[in-house]
Amino acid sequence: MNSFRAVSRIALRVKPTRALLAPRRNYAEAAGPADKIRLSLALPHQTIYKASDVIQVNIPAESGDMGILANHVPSIEQLRPGVIDIIEEGAGSKQFFLSGGFAVVQPDSQLSINAVEAFPLEDFSPEAVRAQIAEAQRIANGSGTEQDIVEAKVELEVLETLQAALK
Amino acid sequence: MVAAWRAAGLTYNKYLSIAARVVRRSLKEQPRLAAERRGEMQLKFAKWEGGKQGDVKSLAKESAE
Repeated sequence: MNSFRAVSRIALRVKPTRALLAPRRNYAEAAGPADKIRLSLALPHQTIYKASDVIQVNIPAESGDMGILANHVPSIEQLRPGVIDIIEEGAGSKQFFLSGGFAVVQPDSQLSINAVEAFPLEDFSPEAVRAQIAEAQRIANGSGTEQDIVEAKVELEVLETLQAALK
Repeated sequence: MVAAWRAAGLTYNKYLSIAARVVRRSLKEQPRLAAERRGEMQLKFAKWEGGKQGDVKSLAKESAE
């Protein structure tokens, strides 16, 4: 009876320590700090971010606006022309206007964003945007070729998003 | 859901180039001049038939039609 009690007491003591020693691995540990996402933002002619660890990235996906943190579920998102927010530790948040592209979330907390053009918001001229909206509206409602009207409508959509972002 | 540009017969490539062009044109003077050069594309092609070269056409003009 006594010896049985002793054994069960040992068993109780051993169990929790084994659970603590069991190695736990996840994807993020292999890539970098567990609470960061590794961002690459690349254009055909320039690399803006090259595997930088950031806290959060907000993207305007075709399926809706989304914020991406570390350990995000892997996905591929088509981007609407719009603003992305990049929240860095200490440096605050940076905003770029992208002309459209793709964001790929990889399983090891890596985020790759490809776009044709990306500029910080302060590089845009509100007057140029306003003038182009007027011009695009004139073409969209005019009697030009079907091709011109379609192009003007695409331009209008981009310009209106841009104007809203600049306010 | 099909996007409006797609329903109108644009390819994704064409749509992206229109969006990029309008973004470049919205920039302030300084970055705009540097960026607009990137949008330029010149490519000519000609169809050869029976050993003879046909008319030389601009790709940009042909694909706009």
